[in-house]
Amino acid sequence: MNTTICAETFQERLLLLLEHLYTSQKENLEKTAQAFADCIARRGVIHIFGTGHSVGLGLDIKGRPGSLVPIHIMDMNDFVFKGGIPLAQFKDKKDIFERQAGVAQKLYDLYAIRPQDIFIVISNSGINGIAIDIAQLARDQGHTVIVVTSMQHTLAEKSRHASGKHLYECADLILDTCGPAGDALLDIDGIQTGPASSLVSMLLLNIVASEAIRVCMQDGYRPYVFQSQNVDGFDNDAIYEHFQGRIKHF
Amino acid sequence: MDKLEEMFHLFQARIPETARRIRPEIIRMSELFATCAQAGGVIQLFGVRHGEEFVNELNFRAGGLAPFHAIRPMDMALNGLIEKDCVESGDVFNRADLLSTLLGLYKLDARDLYCIVSAGGNEPLSLALAHEAKANGHVLTAVVNRKTVAKETGETVADLADCILDMGADDPDIATVVQDQSIGQLGSTLANVSAQMITAEMYAWYVRNGLKAPVLLSANNEGADRHNAALTDPYNGRIR
Repeated sequence: MNTTICAETFQERLLLLLEHLYTSQKENLEKTAQAFADCIARRGVIHIFGTGHSVGLGLDIKGRPGSLVPIHIMDMNDFVFKGGIPLAQFKDKKDIFERQAGVAQKLYDLYAIRPQDIFIVISNSGINGIAIDIAQLARDQGHTVIVVTSMQHTLAEKSRHASGKHLYECADLILDTCGPAGDALLDIDGIQTGPASSLVSMLLLNIVASEAIRVCMQDGYRPYVFQSQNVDGFDNDAIYEHFQGRIKHF
Repeated sequence: MDKLEEMFHLFQARIPETARRIRPEIIRMSELFATCAQAGGVIQLFGVRHGEEFVNELNFRAGGLAPFHAIRPMDMALNGLIEKDCVESGDVFNRADLLSTLLGLYKLDARDLYCIVSAGGNEPLSLALAHEAKANGHVLTAVVNRKTVAKETGETVADLADCILDMGADDPDIATVVQDQSIGQLGSTLANVSAQMITAEMYAWYVRNGLKAPVLLSANNEGADRHNAALTDPYNGRIR
């Protein structure tokens, strides 16, 4: 059994992945930042959807000093809070809620989505139904859809969607996390561990958001950015009100 | 230089620098986690605001290890015990009085270890949880941002913890500037690299001790549900 794997091994392999990530994704990162900037300039909102461990990734570019304001997380918990679904039904392990028919449309309908909005849909495997449905719904409505996925992973998997499509096939732009099939940087005697997709996705979203702010300013448009509450005269709560419920508190 | 390149190079530089600096902390925390798990305990994760991202990186993660559980304030809102706004606004972290309500939602055990993830580590709810854990004899660990904690004048969870892991971010966690606007964050990504380094180091601990690591499989894998259930069912509802 391999006994040399440790924290440093993970870090070394992550840095190798990052080296390839930037060179391979630079063009699509630039296009994504431009899509963010165009959306923001039209007073649009960037909706972020992910399931499983992708669900919280949008949080990293939201709600703290220096982060863009018009970011909205499409949160499955809203079925309970806004959709009237009982918690027991939502959490039923025998009839997994997100796999039920029509769920994506119901979630989509919970929010005030406007024509100028764009969508980021995150799924490393890119094969699960609800993520594909959300992306397809948004595209059908004419929204730009940016997909964050691992091309190596998704091409190794059969789609679970009725159409047979993978998530990347519903995208205007693809950000490839460049991770291996199985999302594991460490493979030890057949056991895969060291998943990197979440932190790579966080990194991608962070650098895109920063570049989008730069593009906005270069174009002469100052985007809403959260400030520290210690800054005199700045009121983050007023910003939430400006967006009239289309974005939420962190 | 555009911000894509600048931010990317910042991450490339800071990840190995932070990893080197916190290496002893990673090893110490991994040993505590693995020892707890091997004794039948669960690592109870509690994340404050963006600390939730670190929690998500370890809790029921494909390719991660089984014995983790998330204590989430949002669970109180989902159960109708508090308003959702109380959580989303962050007010919940000022409510030490909610600790028993929160903990009452879960099956906790004397063998469990607690890990509080908070940049400043000084929220009343975090401190109440830390005191409760210590009073009941649990091992307490804290993932904090040392530069933020250093600015605090009162007690923080770092004062109470048996082991501390530094997030490695600046305070404030601002990566760069465009014109006069501060933008971008590094902290959560750096912390999540640490989380996966803990996973790898825990794995190494199991191997060194001749044990099989309880690695969860992605639900996309054939047979994953059965494999994962075999790892989690013995906990009888303590980890899901």
